[in-house]
Amino acid sequence: MFLRLLMESFRRQRRRKLLAGVAILLGTTAVTAMLALATTIGDHIHSELAVYGANIVVYPEADQLDVKIGGVDVKPASGGAYLKESALKKLRGIFWANNITGVSPELPIRLIGKTAAGNAIDASATGMWFGHALSSGGGPAMVTGAPALHPLWKVSGEWPKEAETNFAAAEIALGSSLASQLGLRVGDTIQTMPTTTSGQQMTLRVTGIVTTGDAIDDQILLPLNAAQAIAGTPDAVRRVEVSARTKPEDAFARKDPDSLSPKSREVWYCSPYANSIAYQIREAIPGARAEQVRRVEQSEGNVLKRISGLMWLISAAAMLAAGFAVSAAMATAILERQGEIGLMRSLGASKGAIAMLFYAETGLLSLFAGGLGYLAGSGLAAWLGARIFGGGEHLSISSALNPVLFPVIVALALIVAIAGSTPAIRRALAMEPSAILRSDA
Amino acid sequence: MSSQLNLISMLRRSLVHRRARSFSALLAMTISAAVATALLTLYADLDAKLHREFRSFGANVVITSAAQGDKALAPGTLERVQTAVGPEAIAAQFAFAVATTDRGTPVVVAGTDFDAVRRLNSWWQVDTWPAATDANAALLGQRAAQFIGDEHAVQLSFADRPLTLHGTGRIRTGADEDSRIYMPIAAFTAWTGAQPSLIEVQIPGGAAKVEAAISSLRQQLPGLKVEPVRQLVEGEDRIVDKTHALMYGAVVLIALTVAVSVLATLSASVLERRRDFALMKALGGSQPQLMAMFLLEAMVLALAGVGVGFVIGSAAALTISQLNFHTATLPRLSVLPLVFLLNILIAALAALFPVRVLRSLQPAALLKGE
Repeated sequence: MFLRLLMESFRRQRRRKLLAGVAILLGTTAVTAMLALATTIGDHIHSELAVYGANIVVYPEADQLDVKIGGVDVKPASGGAYLKESALKKLRGIFWANNITGVSPELPIRLIGKTAAGNAIDASATGMWFGHALSSGGGPAMVTGAPALHPLWKVSGEWPKEAETNFAAAEIALGSSLASQLGLRVGDTIQTMPTTTSGQQMTLRVTGIVTTGDAIDDQILLPLNAAQAIAGTPDAVRRVEVSARTKPEDAFARKDPDSLSPKSREVWYCSPYANSIAYQIREAIPGARAEQVRRVEQSEGNVLKRISGLMWLISAAAMLAAGFAVSAAMATAILERQGEIGLMRSLGASKGAIAMLFYAETGLLSLFAGGLGYLAGSGLAAWLGARIFGGGEHLSISSALNPVLFPVIVALALIVAIAGSTPAIRRALAMEPSAILRSDA
Repeated sequence: MSSQLNLISMLRRSLVHRRARSFSALLAMTISAAVATALLTLYADLDAKLHREFRSFGANVVITSAAQGDKALAPGTLERVQTAVGPEAIAAQFAFAVATTDRGTPVVVAGTDFDAVRRLNSWWQVDTWPAATDANAALLGQRAAQFIGDEHAVQLSFADRPLTLHGTGRIRTGADEDSRIYMPIAAFTAWTGAQPSLIEVQIPGGAAKVEAAISSLRQQLPGLKVEPVRQLVEGEDRIVDKTHALMYGAVVLIALTVAVSVLATLSASVLERRRDFALMKALGGSQPQLMAMFLLEAMVLALAGVGVGFVIGSAAALTISQLNFHTATLPRLSVLPLVFLLNILIAALAALFPVRVLRSLQPAALLKGE
């Protein structure tokens, strides 16, 4: 009997059900979309903020002091300490390895040589990766390098390829100021002189001209393996820039992990703070010192906190508004059916049974509409995210649907719909059936 | 005259008599107005708020001398730059020299104005900022500090001229600053004779403002090289634009949700009054008259909703921006017309939506109870 009443109610009162259903559907769509956007905004903003460069820098513990003014080495260090290039693949094995989005080692060298036309060259050069496959044995390799960490570097021509480096030749890219000063173009070659006894002599072919707007414009960029060969320092790296997805720093992040209790230390270690990632890098690469680049990290954290805070607050506002709208629609739907309630009461139905019926209807409706709203909202969020942030991410169903949100959304829809209909049901039940029937007839 | 009186008293009775119904309609209109007000107010203020947050990235314009060889800036350049960019911008000057520490290591010593740097570079992590009165105060970069014997009495020498600085603490930035020692510019110039060679300026606002400031600087101060910090300027605009677009999507989405829900609620409450409609029609009311009656009622509710909703929405916007940005967003009267228009539109739609249903009604049949 109960089931039949329930079914008939859905079959006969399509318009009323549709109205309440649409309210729930739209409410859950908006809330799902906002929550889905709020939870993924961190990744989006991080990839947008990538233009600011690395947020962690790694250098050898025993390094000499840089004597740099305005990005130019006033007293280029000779010798000094190095990190091992071969150790960098350990970065892929640390706890937060998946949060590392880019790695760019650097080896500054001094390059002496002459152009094909016979002009002498004495310039600073930096060996770096341009598209290096970094893998730690198992798992897919991460293709990374300096251009990935510096999206604003513009190259006309091609980035040098490290695979082209052999014992006597390599490809290079020239900074724009240096290129115009030397009168070199893409395709020209440079003959280098070894700067140290173990260094090699090489023929460098220009494949690209780079414009960066900073000191790099006066430099030569070459593949790391070529720089190592010219300087005669195999496997050497002076400095590594790391770009990592981090959690904005809070008071806990600034704590010294070695002073924490084992349990809090665990929590600290397993939070993606810049400090804890730097700590894990120090653990993974012996003799290395890793520091967060505060200008990038602190300011990024600041901006990220504000934007995601805004999204959460707006989501909360959306939830509140959707809650009001849904409960108002539910209340209206029940109020409209006072006559029905009066009839059922006068036919002998108990208050409990009637309330049960209405709650069951509400529950079914919010389950159904909430589920649909979840799907629509997830789709909408994925579409909005792709439209606004774009950038190569192909839309896939699995990435658009956040399974954690589903129970949350349906539960919210249930709670709001039931809470919204309760006062109306109570009021309708409190009225005398005869009064309702008489006033309506 | 009498028909107008009739209309008004009918309206009053209709609103007062069905108090619960009127109240729920009013509530719906208030919510829609409040949501629209809150979102529009926040949205209007968003760009300014976000640009303010980007100030934490520090300088976005770098000024150096354009002359070859001599890199020193003419005395008084800082004042002229500050005048050119206005009081909103923060400018700090730097002078550099390479000195030797007591352990014989060459180190870059920079002279600057600590007050300005502190405001400009909020990301510097500094133990204790030196007092403005301390002429020989020094901040030691965390790497530079390892090459110094006594951090409280830092002994440096520049071209055989010794100087003892009083180190107040370390700075940590993870960049070039870590390898430098910072000291007040007056003492620096007296010691080394070097003049400031670099001015860092932070122009608040997006790329357009920065470009405008740069071109005015180039015009007013020829002989200087004025360059934007490209990644900061471009990055800021990208983020602000994208957040703006995201907010736009959110605003449209939420406004639509609320509008449709309110529309559903209101039009249901109009539909419910079929009996009133039938009775009035049976008593000789014409179709347009009755529609005007419903419309007027909806308009009065919408208007009341806008009044209350604007206050609630402004308060919500204020709370949100206080919580998130720690600055107030004051109520904006300029959003009122738009909110009003939206609410009236929803109310009108809600009143007119059921017209087709009502028109086809046979008063006699309805009144008989069929």
